[in-house]
Amino acid sequence: MYQDYAYLIVGLPILAFVLTIFLGWHLPKGGGFITVLATFAGFILSLGIFNEIYPDGGIVHQSMHWFASFNAGILIDPLAIVMLLMVTFVCTMIHTYALGYMDGDPGLARYFAEAGLFTAAMLGLVFSDNLLQLFIFWELVGLCSYLLIGFWYRKPSAASAAKKAFLVTRVGDVMFLAGIILLYTNMVKLNLTLPDGAYLLQFQTIYDSLTLIPPDQLTWIAVLLFGGAVGKSGQFPLHVWLPDAMEGPTTVSAMIHAATMVTAGVYLVARMFPLFYAAPNALMVVAYVGGFTALFAATMGLVMFDIKRVLAYSTVSQLGYMMAGLGVGAAVGASAVGVSIFHLIGHSFFKALLFLCAGSVIHAVGTNDMREMGGVLKSMKWTGLTMLAGSLTLAGFPLTTGFFSKDEVIVTAYEHGALGMGWLPYIFAIVAALLTAIYAFRLWFLTFDGEPRSDYKKHESPWIMLGPLVILAIFALFMGMPSQENFYDYVGNNFEHYGVDFEELAVIGGHHVEHGAHAVHEPFIIKILPIIIGVGGILIAALFYSRWKRFDPSMITSERDPLRHILLKRYYQNEIYTLWFAEKVVYGIALFSNMIDLKIIDGTVNKISAILVGFGGTLRKVQTGVIQNYITAIVLGLAVLLILIQLASMGVAI
Amino acid sequence: MIPLVLYVLLASTMFTIGLYGLLTQRNGIKLMMCVEILLNSANINLVAFSAYLPNVNGQVFALFSIALAAAEAGVGFAILIVLYRLYGTIELDNINALRW
Repeated sequence: MYQDYAYLIVGLPILAFVLTIFLGWHLPKGGGFITVLATFAGFILSLGIFNEIYPDGGIVHQSMHWFASFNAGILIDPLAIVMLLMVTFVCTMIHTYALGYMDGDPGLARYFAEAGLFTAAMLGLVFSDNLLQLFIFWELVGLCSYLLIGFWYRKPSAASAAKKAFLVTRVGDVMFLAGIILLYTNMVKLNLTLPDGAYLLQFQTIYDSLTLIPPDQLTWIAVLLFGGAVGKSGQFPLHVWLPDAMEGPTTVSAMIHAATMVTAGVYLVARMFPLFYAAPNALMVVAYVGGFTALFAATMGLVMFDIKRVLAYSTVSQLGYMMAGLGVGAAVGASAVGVSIFHLIGHSFFKALLFLCAGSVIHAVGTNDMREMGGVLKSMKWTGLTMLAGSLTLAGFPLTTGFFSKDEVIVTAYEHGALGMGWLPYIFAIVAALLTAIYAFRLWFLTFDGEPRSDYKKHESPWIMLGPLVILAIFALFMGMPSQENFYDYVGNNFEHYGVDFEELAVIGGHHVEHGAHAVHEPFIIKILPIIIGVGGILIAALFYSRWKRFDPSMITSERDPLRHILLKRYYQNEIYTLWFAEKVVYGIALFSNMIDLKIIDGTVNKISAILVGFGGTLRKVQTGVIQNYITAIVLGLAVLLILIQLASMGVAI
Repeated sequence: MIPLVLYVLLASTMFTIGLYGLLTQRNGIKLMMCVEILLNSANINLVAFSAYLPNVNGQVFALFSIALAAAEAGVGFAILIVLYRLYGTIELDNINALRW
C-alpha cells in the first residue's frame, strides 16, 4: 500500500522546496519545519515500503513512457531501500538540527528551500530505474551542492568554493555522460527486441544485455562511469573540491558528506556493479583508486587544524574505503556491494554526527581552529559525549558500527590479496585505518580535552540541536551489531532480483579464480588486526594530544619538517591544479581558442559581411534618385524589347 | 471621316513630345505638364479606337484616365508647393537630401 505512494518520497521534499522558496519569508524560521516534515514523511514512507518488501524479498518497480526509447520510473530494490531509509533519516536529523543552527540567518528560507531540493534530488537519484534519469538527478544534486556551498555568497571564499565544487565535479560528470552515451550506442547496436515496458537504459535491460556487449567496450563504459563517481565522491585526483566545500554552513557539510552528495558516486558504482564485474580491469581501477584515496586523504587529515577540514579529509578517506570495498568485489562477487553499502550507511550516521557536533562546537566557540579550543567538554557535555561516540565509531572501536563495517571492508580486501589479485588495497586500507583512529582522536582530544587555549564563549547548544546528535550517536554506536549479517545478505543479494548471473559475467570478465563467499581462510592475526589497529590508534592519539600525554608532537616533527610541510600544503595539489594546470595549460588553451575564434571564425564572418557591404556600396550608385535617369533606362529597355520582338517576328533567330 | 492612322500619328507625336520633355526637363511643373501630355496621348488613342470599333469601353477608360490624371495632378502640385516652401525652388536637381 505504501509503495503506491513511492513517488511522494521525492514529491514531498520538492513541494517543500516550492513552498519555502515562495512563502518561506512569511513563515517563522523560514518555513524550515515544512522541509523537516516533508523529509520525515519520506522516511515514514520508506519505512512502510521496507516493511512491505523486506519479508518476501520483493522489489517495487513503476515505470512510464518518456520519449520513444526512454522511460521515467521508480525502482526500489534492497540497494535502493536502504539508501532511501538512510537519506531520509539522516536528512531529517540534519534539517531538525539546522532549525537551531541556522536560526537568525537572513537567508533562512533560501537555506531550507535549497536543502529540501537537495534531499529530493538525492532521493530521486537513488530510486531512478534507468541510467538517464539517474544522471538528471545526479546533475540536480550537483546544482544544489553548488547553491548550498555558496550559501553565504557574499563571502568571496564561499563563492569560489562553490564554483570549484561545481567545476571539479563537472569533470566527472562529463565522463559519466560519455559513459552513458557509449553504453547507449552499444545497446542500440544490439538491436534488442524489448518486451513491453522495457527500455534501453533501464537497469534491468542493461543487466540483461551485459553478456552481449563486447568486453573492451564494457571496460571503457565502466571506467567512464567510475570517472563520474570519482568526481562526485571525491576520489583522488578529483577530491580537491570536498575540503573547500567546508565554506558552506556546517549543516550543508553534514548533508554533502553524509547523506546526499558524495554517497551518490558510491551508489552509482554499486548500482552498476554487474557491469563493473564483467569488466575486471575497471574494477581493479576502482579498488586501487579507492584504496589509495583512503590512505592519501587520511595522511592529510592528520595535520589539519581546522576542525571541519579534518572531518572533510576523513570523509574523502572513508569514501575511499567504500570504493575499495566495491573494487575488491572482483574477489568476492556481489557480496562486496553489501559490504560497501553497509560502510556507506554506517559512515553517513557517524559522519553526520561528527559534522553536527563540530557545528555545535563552532556555534558555541566561534572558531574553526582547534588550536584555539581545548577543554570544551567542560561547557558542552552533550556535544562532547556524542562526538566521542562518533569518533569511536570512526576509529573503529570494537562493537561500534564503524568497527563492523570497516572491518568487513578490510577483510574483503584481504581476500582480494589472498586470491592473488593484489595486496595493495589491503595495505592501503589497513594503514589508513590506523591513521583514521589517530586523526579522529587527535580531533577529539584537541577540541574537548585539556585546558582552554583561548577565551571563547562557554555554553551548550539548544536542545533542538542536541536532540538529533543524541539520536545519531545511538545509531552510530549500536546500529551495526544487530543488523550487519542480515544487511550483507539482503543488499548483497540485490542483483538476484534481476537474474544477474555472476558466474556468467565472471567468464566474460576473464576472472580465473574460484569464487564463493569467504572461500579464503583468514589467519587469526588478520581477524584481530583491525581491533589492534583501531585501539592502538586511539592510544597513540591519547599519548600525544590528551591530558595524559607522554609525548609532544614536536618531538617527532618540527615546523621545518618537509613531510609535515607537504601534508599541510595538501601535497601542493591546489598549487598544481591552479598554478600549473589552470594558469599554464588551461590559460594557454584558452588563448589559442580565443585566437581561433577571433581570427578564423569571426574573421570569416567579418570578411563575408565586408564583401557584401562593399558590393552594396558600389551598387547603390545606380540608384541616383533622379527620375530622368530611371525614365531613360525604362525607355531604352522598352526600345530594345520592341526591336527584339520585331526581329523575332521577322524570323531572325536570337 | 478622318482616317484612324491620323489619330494614332497625333497620339504618338504627343507621346514623343511628352517623353522628350520628361527626359530633358528639370523643373517640377514642366515635368507635371509632360506627364499630362503623355496621359492625354493615351486618351486620344483610347477614344479613337473606341469610335472605330463600335465599342464604348475605350471611352469609359478615357474618362477613368482623365479622373486619374486630375487626382495625380492634385497630389503632384501639392507636393511641389510644399517643396517650394521648404527649398525656395522646384528645380528637382537641387532636391536631393535623401540621396547617397
